Amino acid sequence: MINQSSAVGRNVQVTGAGIAGVVSCLPERRISNAHFEAQFGEAAVKDVVKMIGVENRYWTDENTSTRDLCAKAGQHLLSNLNWLPETVDALIFVSQTPDFRLPATACALQADLGLSSACIAFDINLGCSGYPYALWLGMTMVQTGAAQRVLLAVGDTISKIVDPTDRSTALLFGDAGTVTAIESATGQTAVFVLGTDGSGVSNLIVPKGAFKDYSQVNDPRLSGKAADCLFMDGGEIFNFTLRAVPALVSETIKRSGVSLEKYDAFLFHQANLFMLKHLIKKSKLPFEKTPINIDQFGNTSCASIPLLLTSSLKERLREESMKLAMFGFGVGYSWAGVSLNVGPLKCVEIIKC
Amino acid sequence: MSEFYEGMAEILEIDLIKISSDFELHSGEAAWDSLAIVSTIALADDCFGVMLEGKALAGCRSIADIEKLIIILKKV
Repeated sequence: MINQSSAVGRNVQVTGAGIAGVVSCLPERRISNAHFEAQFGEAAVKDVVKMIGVENRYWTDENTSTRDLCAKAGQHLLSNLNWLPETVDALIFVSQTPDFRLPATACALQADLGLSSACIAFDINLGCSGYPYALWLGMTMVQTGAAQRVLLAVGDTISKIVDPTDRSTALLFGDAGTVTAIESATGQTAVFVLGTDGSGVSNLIVPKGAFKDYSQVNDPRLSGKAADCLFMDGGEIFNFTLRAVPALVSETIKRSGVSLEKYDAFLFHQANLFMLKHLIKKSKLPFEKTPINIDQFGNTSCASIPLLLTSSLKERLREESMKLAMFGFGVGYSWAGVSLNVGPLKCVEIIKC
Repeated sequence: MSEFYEGMAEILEIDLIKISSDFELHSGEAAWDSLAIVSTIALADDCFGVMLEGKALAGCRSIADIEKLIIILKKV
């Protein structure tokens, strides 16, 4: 194992583990842009959509949570992989929209999926960077022998925490729950770059609702905003991505030792279409190898990369092994990149809840 | 500056002919909002290879103010 750090992040190699299958679960309710015209007016909706590139997104109803989406995805995945629930050694739930402040949603999912009581289960609170982080941790558990089979339940229902009157966030986000199965894979190496910059905490935040009330801090940007809803400073976030993402891309590729043209696809967290196009260009990546699906699903937080696997890459991943690089970045600030081989997968699909 | 002015005209949805250093961002003719700020950050990156800070842009009153920020960054 070679572990080093650079200005971009911790560099970690994990060997002997790989992805066995991925299922994404979307809510039934599809929300088109027409939904927002009554609130913001047709012209304003058009302006926002031109920038964010979202045509449709899927939102849960009030009785459905991220846990429910992940439970559906997990059941489907286990049955399609022919994995008996008692053979799962660990379940990690990565989300910012858990069912409760306590207990951990991973415990609820252990029961939902009928996993053994000899199962490691815990939550991780990360957003847009969450999927590569989850892969790193799940694969590390397999590499160390702590677990042979790991489920990564990664998803968010951000629709529940957006302020419907805030045009900078109301149209952008979609809901999705995903589950990825990790197991041992001889000879495979995944190369990760993982980093954090907590100076960005207040730029993408739900100020109130946990155990410290940031809305009481004198921050003029929050005046008139709903304290229990998501606040996003778009300019600051864009500045952060311009500083962090091209460097993350080049560091991940460099550390992998694989030349750019050997990659089959580069999967970016689907943040916002305008930002994505700019970041892809600045990272000097070929657009034709960088699938985009934000138009269909919106920004689904930590679920956006597995959603790319199960939508844009589904057919190829069923048939072949692909060399992929994935890049998650955002809330925290937190970022993570990974270079790995994925496929052929026995199960890679999208289901509806 | 011509490519930059063309970009600013598009971002502000204003005729190019009206765009000059004197153009007032808060005149009511253009929407100088968070979408425009994000677009201007990208435009300055494309045209001059500099990264304008969102906070500094939010404080700009005219296109001349934006140009001053760009000139300072280009000197660094």
